[in-house]
Amino acid sequence: MNDITITIDGKACLAKEGEYVLGVARRNNIFIPALCYVTNCSPTLACRLCLVDIDGKRAYSCNARAKEGMNVITKSEEIEKERRAIMEIYDVNHPLECGVCDQSGECELQNYTLHMGVDAQHHCIADTHRPTKQWGRIHYDASLCIVCERCVTVCKDMIGESALKTVPRGGAELDKAWKDKTEKDAYAMWNKLQKSIIGIASGAESLDCTQCGECTAVCPVGALVGSDFQYSSNAWELKKIPASNPHSSDCSLLFYDVKQTSISNPEPKIYRVSSEHNYAPLHAAARYGFDFQNEVTCKDEKAFETVVESLKTKVDTIAFESYITNEEALILQKLKEKYGYKLINPEAKRYQEFLKHYASTSGKSLYSGDLERVRSSNFVVSFASAIKTDSPNAGYAMNNAIGMNKGAGLYFHPIADPVVSAYSKNLLSITHKVGAEEAIAYFLLDLFGDKEAMPKALIDYLATFHTIEKKTIQENIKEDVKEMVKDEESGEEKEVITSVSKVVEKEIEVDTNALVSLIGAEEDVSDKITKLLDKKDSFSLMVGEDVYAHPRAKNIAKLLGLIERFTPFNIVIIPSRTNTLGVSLICDLDEEKGNYILGYNTKGDVTLSALGKGDLAMPALNQQEGTFTSMNKRVVPTNAALPFKGYYLNDIANALGLETEWTIDYTPLLPAQKGFKAQKFDDLPNQYENDGRENRGYLLETQELTCNDEVEPLESFTCKEGDMVYLANPVHQFSAFTNKAHQLNEAGALYVSKDFLEAKNLKSGDMVTLENDAGAKLVIALKEEPMIGGMIPYLPDFDTKIDVTPFFKEGYRFASVTMKGVAHV
Amino acid sequence: MFETAVIVETVVKAVIVVAVVAAMAGFATFIERKVLAFMQRRLGPMHVGPYGLLQLAADGIKLFTKEDIIPQNAIKPIFMIAPVVAATSAFVAMAAVPYFPEFTLFGYTIHPIISDINVALLYVMGVASVGIYGPLLAGMSSANKWSLLGAARAVVQMLSFEVVSGLSILAPIMLIGSLSLIDINDYQSGGISNWLIWKQPLAFVLFAIAGFMETNRAPFDTVEFEAEVVAGYATEYSGMRWGLFFIGEYANMITISVLVSIIFMGGYAPLGFIPGAVMMLLKVSFWIFLFLWVRAAWPHVRPDQLMWVCWKVMMPLAVVNILITGFVLI
Amino acid sequence: MTLNDFKKRDCSGDYIFFEGEKKSENGWEAFQRVMKRTLKGELFVGLWVVLREMIRFDIHTLKYPAEKMEMGPRYRAIHRLLRLFESGSERCIGCGLCEKICIAKCIRMETRIDEKSRKEVSEYSINFGRCIFCGYCAEVCPELAIVHGVEYENASEQRAHFGLKEDMLTPLDTFRAKEQKEFSGFGALSDHADETVKQTPLAY
Repeated sequence: MNDITITIDGKACLAKEGEYVLGVARRNNIFIPALCYVTNCSPTLACRLCLVDIDGKRAYSCNARAKEGMNVITKSEEIEKERRAIMEIYDVNHPLECGVCDQSGECELQNYTLHMGVDAQHHCIADTHRPTKQWGRIHYDASLCIVCERCVTVCKDMIGESALKTVPRGGAELDKAWKDKTEKDAYAMWNKLQKSIIGIASGAESLDCTQCGECTAVCPVGALVGSDFQYSSNAWELKKIPASNPHSSDCSLLFYDVKQTSISNPEPKIYRVSSEHNYAPLHAAARYGFDFQNEVTCKDEKAFETVVESLKTKVDTIAFESYITNEEALILQKLKEKYGYKLINPEAKRYQEFLKHYASTSGKSLYSGDLERVRSSNFVVSFASAIKTDSPNAGYAMNNAIGMNKGAGLYFHPIADPVVSAYSKNLLSITHKVGAEEAIAYFLLDLFGDKEAMPKALIDYLATFHTIEKKTIQENIKEDVKEMVKDEESGEEKEVITSVSKVVEKEIEVDTNALVSLIGAEEDVSDKITKLLDKKDSFSLMVGEDVYAHPRAKNIAKLLGLIERFTPFNIVIIPSRTNTLGVSLICDLDEEKGNYILGYNTKGDVTLSALGKGDLAMPALNQQEGTFTSMNKRVVPTNAALPFKGYYLNDIANALGLETEWTIDYTPLLPAQKGFKAQKFDDLPNQYENDGRENRGYLLETQELTCNDEVEPLESFTCKEGDMVYLANPVHQFSAFTNKAHQLNEAGALYVSKDFLEAKNLKSGDMVTLENDAGAKLVIALKEEPMIGGMIPYLPDFDTKIDVTPFFKEGYRFASVTMKGVAHV
Repeated sequence: MFETAVIVETVVKAVIVVAVVAAMAGFATFIERKVLAFMQRRLGPMHVGPYGLLQLAADGIKLFTKEDIIPQNAIKPIFMIAPVVAATSAFVAMAAVPYFPEFTLFGYTIHPIISDINVALLYVMGVASVGIYGPLLAGMSSANKWSLLGAARAVVQMLSFEVVSGLSILAPIMLIGSLSLIDINDYQSGGISNWLIWKQPLAFVLFAIAGFMETNRAPFDTVEFEAEVVAGYATEYSGMRWGLFFIGEYANMITISVLVSIIFMGGYAPLGFIPGAVMMLLKVSFWIFLFLWVRAAWPHVRPDQLMWVCWKVMMPLAVVNILITGFVLI
Repeated sequence: MTLNDFKKRDCSGDYIFFEGEKKSENGWEAFQRVMKRTLKGELFVGLWVVLREMIRFDIHTLKYPAEKMEMGPRYRAIHRLLRLFESGSERCIGCGLCEKICIAKCIRMETRIDEKSRKEVSEYSINFGRCIFCGYCAEVCPELAIVHGVEYENASEQRAHFGLKEDMLTPLDTFRAKEQKEFSGFGALSDHADETVKQTPLAY
């Protein structure tokens, strides 16, 4: 991996061929200033601060690639002078309003201005009026903007939406006289700065993206800030509490920025969420959905007694959701072992089963890939997941991989997603038939499988889908024809070559794959894929939650196991909830419910709830410490940002006879046979290293198991004709917890595409009635969602007022319904 | 009949002396505060009455009406009686002190002395010594360490300086040959040149210093020096009991002033056109002013330095003074 | 005075070292010392000094409730929040520097965005139970908004009565009566402040 050596400031550094010098320097703790560069994204070359001297020549370390024996000098008088001049130019007309700026204290312009020792200004130019813009949750103050283009870069290379771009500023032309008076790079930077400003790529009035807010995180100055946070606190007053994203299984590192609520109320309050923007992007729910805490004033002793009493006498089943920590899952498992409660969590149970079947054919207890692997691969396939809403971070990784590694990708889903399709022109979006996931698995196995290693039976079975036909096609061929032309004037004869196109009939063999039509894709999909596969050498496959409840889930899991073994794909089986992977590893889940149910964050005869509606209040995930098992197979710690004054699950367990002082005392007791390690909570790191390594918690260990090749043949899966709905939440929403946060709170609706509204002649806000065969009925409003396509609407489950469970009895996310319009009351 | 008249006259005189001296003691506190204030560029009490004159009354009312606290562990009878001892001894000493020359009122010749005894000086010295019991009893009965320390200091100091004061006035007595203060006064009636201060300067200085000492005034106020022993033997006292100590101290101050005036400075002998009574008042006033003046100007002396100067300097000097006087007389 | 005079921190040359009186070694020396002190008349100097002051009668007493002392501008009493002379709006911009620099950690503020999309300081408090009146807040304030007042009569039922924004902010009627004075004490600009900053060119 480290195959060459370069010298930076006299220090020998190991590097990969073609790696950026800036990255090498950062890994070796050598400081090179840079304003515009975002790790894992393409170099912008806007700021020119990373100027270095490479073998006597000036170069920009953010885009200079390492070569063997290179000698890099990061500091010299000339370079320092240049950098100082650049910072001076950035300070030209930058408003002196640090006092009110939200970025003050963590502003890179401030830092570098001080660092470069800018104590006087020699440049001047007339300023342009640059009005501030309110883009939904994002506030853009153009006068503060230094046009480093980090936001543009990160939106394109990381998030994949390319919602921002630079637009003309309309400012004064730079007087040429400055050219002689200013350093070269500083002048060039100024010239560009004077011409541009950040604007919305689509030209719309407000940002028409998913509003993940990553642009506000990367902005080095106060130009892009969260509207909610704006002017609410000075940055240095906030205490950063490291935690992990509690809403989805990426469990990204985030910091709750906490301060007292007010002068009169010293209780801590979360003011915003910040992140390590160079290493881990956050999606909108993680960034904006931070205040979902359950506030109680005191311990409700009476309710506690009632719950403990019913646990001792009546309760025989505990039902729960996967929005819990590993420690809580272990407590539930211990209670089960001691008192024989049944543990019910259908969602985690399905995932557990899926992993089990996957392991039976792959021979590994866990999937092989993670998001880091996805990011470093150059061919990424996603299927069975509405990736933009189900697991945005997986989508970011996919976009990042395709964009940064000159890669390509495939996106299989029954619902067209314009946002994902726009990731790259090398991403092929295949809108397939509902339920065709099994066929897709076979299709992938057929396309990528190592035919020599695969078992004979499987090859034979796959071959049955292929029919080879001879077909005559007409082809345009260009032919060179030599002609002797006589020059009229000189009379000389010259040989002239002209190309003539002509139509030739040609007979070719066409291999028709029946799987393609089973999937419902276009016929030339195989050719397109083959074209995309040019020069690709590392492959990743991300599988989402559509298949865990698929009627053929068992066989799909086994097919994935075979894909793991016989194709170059690294697979990520995306856990459907925050800690689904942890729960499925720790808990011994049951199928059948008992008679009396204790629900934890779900409905039961007795309910413990962090949502504030149960019989006994429980802490929300930002109020307790513990660990999650992330999509990256990491056990990552999360800390309590806010106090909780009521009872924890551990208190209930202690009242029942388990004796542990703190919930986190369970961390080292997590089951080692499932890959957990006996590490104490307090010893778990939670940070990114300078080289971008994710030093968070620890990695689960994968067990090697014996495996078989038994798979079942493809079974036809037909859906009832008619209206379908898809169980999915809109962008930003994951659960009732995200909906509780004040910035994300909204009423649930049936999210439909524009095409749907046009086809049905309905409009946004209309009410419709959904009915299924079993007689379930739901009246729901329509809401136009510009970020989905096709005719299948999203039916969300984040809004607790809307009960969608009767429509998805079997758990499969697609369900057929009859939809009727209702007249307005 | 004569006996009765004498008793009546003596009682009247005693009452007048006690009343006047007690009032003067009170007034002296006012004067002290004013003088100290002026010397320190302050105004002193200004708000009660014109120029703060009624401050005196205010303080008196305060003292009388303040709660009289007796500590739980104090020895109650002794604690209660100690201030009385202190005040009584101070006033009793005045019985043999003449204040003014004789004068005639309504045809009746009045000797402004309660009892003209021939051992007046001895009597005054003796009674003043009894004054030790006040601080001693107060300090020992208070069940307070500061009080005890204050009492110890008081006893040590007073006993020591009694020797000095006794020896120092021995020389003038040898010159005059009488212990009666009237005789001593008459001895110097010839004018300023006759004052004993010129014949016995050393005795004068020693007696004056011892006088400062016996009245516990600065710079020898080790007994109740706040920074070291809080209020010394009076720490636990409040209200009128503390007030008795206070009056005792000022009465002592007046007594010493009168004594010094009579023994060394010509007493109530008239000077030229100035009548004797006025002279006496002037002299006493000057001495009281001197007490205040010294307090404003000088720092306080450490107890060990005090003992040192008493036994190693002043006592030998007094003895030498007697010897010299003796030789001169012979 | 130039800046260099401030930078010269080694002032050992200016110190006078006083070793005190030599201790007497024997009785004779001790006796000599006693004699010297006794006869030198130092005590009378002290007497003269106090008597002189009494005669001079130069009284410095201020009859407090009736007369009040004129406080110097650098006196550091209970803080004030000033208003802008032009508009009357609050000077404080909520930059938080006072909150940060406060070594007693007694300043807290609440900021929010107001209707005009500006940063507004909605609450400002100083905990006078902890304030040590060091004056750093006034010195660091870029707007000269938080300054020390000269109000030293601070008796109240609660300390908090002085520490809230409404207590410290110049009341509007006072302001309209033009009774707010520019602060010239600790942290105010010096008269020659213009000379000490580098000018930014404005030639366009």
